[in-house]
Amino acid sequence: MDHKVGVFICHCGGNISDVLDIEKIKESIGDVDVIEEYENLCSINGSKIIRDKIINENLDRVVIAACSPESHEKTFQEYVKPLNPYLMDMVNLREQCSWVHSQTSDSFNQKATDKAVNLINASIEKLKVSEAVDPILIQTTESAAVIGGGIAGMSAALSLAKQGIHVYLIEETPSIGGHMAKIGKVFSPVKIAEECGLCLLNPVLNEVVWNDNIEILTSSKLIKAERRAGSFNLLVEKKPRYVDTDKCISCGDCVEVCSQEIPNDWNDNLSYRKAIYKSFSQCYPDTYVIDIDNCDQCGDCKRTCRMNAISFRQESEMIPLEVGSVIVSTGHKLFNPDLRPEYGYSRYDDVITQSELGRILGVNGPTKGKLQCLSNGKVPKRVVMIQCVGSRDIKPDGHKYCSKVCCMVALKNANIIKHKYPDTDIVLCYTDIRTPGMFEKYFKHAQSDGVRLMRGRPGEVVKKDGNLIVRVEDTLTRKFKEIKSDMVVLSTAIEPSEGTKEVAKILNVSQTEDAFIKEPSPKIKPVMTDVRGVFVAGTAQNPKDITDSILQATASASKVSELINDGIDIEPFIATVDNELCDLCEECVKICKYKAASVKDEEIYIDPMTCSGCGKCIAVCPNNAVQINGNIEDKISATIKGILKGKKPGERRIIAFLDDVGYTSADNIGVNRLTYPESIHIIKVISVNRVLPKHIIYALENGADGIFIGEYPGDVMYDEVENKIDKIKGEISDNNIDPERLTFSKVYIPYFTGLARKFTEFDNRIAEIDELAK
Amino acid sequence: MKNVPDKNILLFKSCLVSVEYPGIESSTKYVFDKIGVDYHVDRAQTCCTGLGHYSDVFDQFSTTVNGARHFALANKLNRPNMVMMCATCYAINKKVANILNNNEEVRDEVNQVFDDCGYDWMKFNKGDLDSRENIFHIIDIFYSKRKEIAKNIKYDFSDFNIATHHGCHYCKVHYGDTIEGIRNPHIIDDVVNACGVETIGWYDFKRTTCGSGFSQRFVHKKHSLTVTLDKLKSLKENKTNILIHLCPNCHVQFDRYQTYVGDKIGEEFNIVHLNIAQFLALAMGADPYDVVGIQTHTVPVEPILKDLKPLSKDNKDEIIEKVSYKVDLDESEDFNMEADTVKVEVNETN
Amino acid sequence: MVEKFREDSLDLEEYISHNIKSSKPKGLLKCVQCGMCTSVCPAAQHSNYNPRSMVECVLEGDTAVIEDEDIWYCFYCYTCHSICPADNSPCEVNQVLRQIAVDKGIADDHLIPFLGFGDSFLNHGIGGIPENFFPEMKEDIGDDWWDFKTHLDDVRNHLGLDPVFPSEEAIVEVSTILKSCGFEDRINKIRNHHKDED
Repeated sequence: MDHKVGVFICHCGGNISDVLDIEKIKESIGDVDVIEEYENLCSINGSKIIRDKIINENLDRVVIAACSPESHEKTFQEYVKPLNPYLMDMVNLREQCSWVHSQTSDSFNQKATDKAVNLINASIEKLKVSEAVDPILIQTTESAAVIGGGIAGMSAALSLAKQGIHVYLIEETPSIGGHMAKIGKVFSPVKIAEECGLCLLNPVLNEVVWNDNIEILTSSKLIKAERRAGSFNLLVEKKPRYVDTDKCISCGDCVEVCSQEIPNDWNDNLSYRKAIYKSFSQCYPDTYVIDIDNCDQCGDCKRTCRMNAISFRQESEMIPLEVGSVIVSTGHKLFNPDLRPEYGYSRYDDVITQSELGRILGVNGPTKGKLQCLSNGKVPKRVVMIQCVGSRDIKPDGHKYCSKVCCMVALKNANIIKHKYPDTDIVLCYTDIRTPGMFEKYFKHAQSDGVRLMRGRPGEVVKKDGNLIVRVEDTLTRKFKEIKSDMVVLSTAIEPSEGTKEVAKILNVSQTEDAFIKEPSPKIKPVMTDVRGVFVAGTAQNPKDITDSILQATASASKVSELINDGIDIEPFIATVDNELCDLCEECVKICKYKAASVKDEEIYIDPMTCSGCGKCIAVCPNNAVQINGNIEDKISATIKGILKGKKPGERRIIAFLDDVGYTSADNIGVNRLTYPESIHIIKVISVNRVLPKHIIYALENGADGIFIGEYPGDVMYDEVENKIDKIKGEISDNNIDPERLTFSKVYIPYFTGLARKFTEFDNRIAEIDELAK
Repeated sequence: MKNVPDKNILLFKSCLVSVEYPGIESSTKYVFDKIGVDYHVDRAQTCCTGLGHYSDVFDQFSTTVNGARHFALANKLNRPNMVMMCATCYAINKKVANILNNNEEVRDEVNQVFDDCGYDWMKFNKGDLDSRENIFHIIDIFYSKRKEIAKNIKYDFSDFNIATHHGCHYCKVHYGDTIEGIRNPHIIDDVVNACGVETIGWYDFKRTTCGSGFSQRFVHKKHSLTVTLDKLKSLKENKTNILIHLCPNCHVQFDRYQTYVGDKIGEEFNIVHLNIAQFLALAMGADPYDVVGIQTHTVPVEPILKDLKPLSKDNKDEIIEKVSYKVDLDESEDFNMEADTVKVEVNETN
Repeated sequence: MVEKFREDSLDLEEYISHNIKSSKPKGLLKCVQCGMCTSVCPAAQHSNYNPRSMVECVLEGDTAVIEDEDIWYCFYCYTCHSICPADNSPCEVNQVLRQIAVDKGIADDHLIPFLGFGDSFLNHGIGGIPENFFPEMKEDIGDDWWDFKTHLDDVRNHLGLDPVFPSEEAIVEVSTILKSCGFEDRINKIRNHHKDED
């Protein structure tokens, strides 16, 4: 079939036209219906030129020879409308031609100009076999699950609910509220004052409780998750409370008769509670719960309860949920101070953590807010605080990052003590005080209150003659000191909670090296995860304070709303199964590393959100029942044919197949104006796995001097590809071609200098092989 | 826990063990025989250079050349698992192995030396001997054999206050390879536990150096002994009867100089110093003079021996059961840890 | 007075980081001067030695630190090495500084008393406390110790142990390789240089 092809060449304001001889390019590409050039095709004027030509000349295939598709593919897909977006193809003349082959002299770079022609020819050939395909639009279910009922989770749930979205708020403990409920006072940089945390939390908590769109599941844990198209099927286990929340009137009679004394974790184990208990007075649900692991089931509480609310026969309940999105707000835990045993946390009663000090200073805490040493009940005359315990510490069990809030937390507790106990001396041992923005004012406030600062990281805490001794160098005066103290407070690092790690695994969301939830781009895609439809908020993502947690929670709610209102656009190049041919052998299910294939209602179901279009399933299907939309194999063959068109004797053309990461890395070479030989011609593929042995052999037999394959090792297909290369080398040998003409390399986005070097080395290697062949 | 070998072991002689406390070597052999460890001591083995090295007399290259010879020897004897009685031998040899494996330039230069001397067999190829896989301290072996130790105990030390001194070059230099505690080292405590004895555990200055500081004891004697004194005072406050060592250099510092520093300040410490191998040998019933070599000690060990009671069968059974339970628990925890956590990366190039 | 800003501040750092002794070449530049090394340092508690400030000098390129007598008080106990939150090793930095001093010929006094370690290695294949320290040790420790030292072979024999010295063949081998690698020259250079100074 004959197509009407138009080629539009962009000067990019000289970025391209200063290096490449545009006139020569226009002369050299043959057999197209329209060739146009313009200074800036991405401008509004450019769009007019393109659109007019398409309409007036009836173009049905369009080549845009300009910059990288990474920069402007979406723009030009818009400009070619009403043409189907997949009938437009971009040739990357800027990042992969003019920027990497520029010369210092005034004349054009002839070799680069020739390469530009090859690339445009390749694009023309590819378009000739391209077909119109429509993006798949998926509409997600109008509901969301928020996992973790701390301040981040509650804020996210509330924001979603107010936008009319139904929310399941899933909390592992018997009450929502999280760390903020027990934190005592919170710091406020603007007012230079400490405020009551629970007083700020309570209205939020009430709102969450009373909002009809929020369904709260306490004592509940995510057990399983499956992603299906735009939705998630979750399985939640709700553990029994053994107290009927509808009947319990929270009178507390049961507590009186319970004989079990258990360390109260809500008070950081500084006080005791009974086996039947309520975490804190404002908790929700506002009823009692039995800690069954610590209960001897004597039945006293059951006999005492006037409402007959207690039953030991309650069982765990499995609740299936179908939601459109998930927000992970599973929070943090604190560094175990015993991993720095030199500070004596477990040896000495009066070495405590900032969190414990927060409980001691809390009016609803174990001492009703009275500051006292745990060993003797006396008000400490001196308190030494040690910063960065487990943070900024590369040694085993430590964390390389800064926990971000500890400076403010320490200053807050120091200020509270100074206000109530002005005679207590406070020494804060720090490496750097990190109080960005307005918090610096809070820091100055602490200094003017007389909080003493000691720049030095203590080596150890010991006990001598009944006193704690902190050994530290005052690095500003260069003196080694032993500070006598009554109480030592450790500012322990923030680290991801166990729940965060578990939920990440269940949802298949990637984690950072520190095991926090990983964002695909923390810089420009905050709150996103690498699983579409799963978002993150709060300290599950990294250490942050309450305000930042609320900000991120609200942002993630907004992202959920975007999905619901706008749907998800998916590239249409995914697998489809012909059910007539399929005999349900499930080979495709077994081979799929993305877990996109499954059996549903006696048919193979390919999840469009999960399928990457890698094509692995095609190879294993015994009945040829699987296809990938958009005939990618033909397109690759056509592109190769185009690149090799008109090759002159003595000329060297190398084809480099790069995946997304490799392609971006190659763009980076251009952006940073590094160079590599003109012989390198890049073809972008969804997965290197789509490049078949027949493509490689075809290319080598039809003039390609070398094949370079670049794949990101983080890709799940990486191992497959690596194994495959050796096999292909064998096949190449069988065709009497030197297998060294094929090379395989790992690619990384930031390691573009390495990629440029590898291109150059490979070009040299091929030159040597050519020399030998002669 | 890392894989600790019990076969193909070259028991590496230490200069200070040889000339100051030879009973440590005979005790080690005694205990190894009891707990089923296959070892060999070789007269072609010389010395690690440690004392000279840390007195700055030896440069790292010479020490590396000397170390490479021993690695070749170990491989020639088909005893690639080198086990040290001295913490400094341990640290020195590990460092040499790391340099030889990771620093190609130095490896080539070392091999050039062997070439020049015509000692082809001493040449080192990358991977010939690995710091983590092949170099151990006797404490590692004892720790991995706690169950066997418990089965061989004959005497009861539980009436004594026992403290441990882990010194420096076992736990702090190659801390990524150290078993049971870097910041609060307790591997000796764990091995002593396997004899049914609870140690005093942590005490102030527990992880501090003995004070020998190689050159320090000889040229800055007061500086050196002040640190020793800090530690002795803390041990005395904790009513220590026996201090257990894993390094002969610390052993010299405490045993030889305890009375000297005591006299200087007019205090008596009465702390007996034993190497962990000597302690185990005594607990297993070895002869104090024919095996443990207590006649070479400056602080007399005899007062301890006179109060030593044989272990009753009931007590012994109880110890065996407790130790088995603890070892199994540790091993299952290790297994879980490995499955769960990202391996800690210890940046160490040599 | 305004002090001149050193343009070559990283020279010393680079030399140390790339030295054969340095097992933590990436840590030195990451030092934030938190002082934890000094906070745990036994030498800092009992002398003017300050590992943090020594590292500060190195990072500033202040070569005067090589001649600083205080660095000779380090115990080589590696406590700083084992806890440094930035993964630096002040202990090894110290060792390299002392080696620089040795190479510059300004550390003879520190090394002369210990040259016996080298001699004993070259002659007997093993190290041992140099004899020059024996009189003082005898004085400090007592006659029993000296008595034992003089009967060492008997004691070893009683314990069923081989003689202290390694085989003749081994001694020749060790002595040959130590001569070939330049160790003997190093010892002689220090000894001769010292004599010349006198």
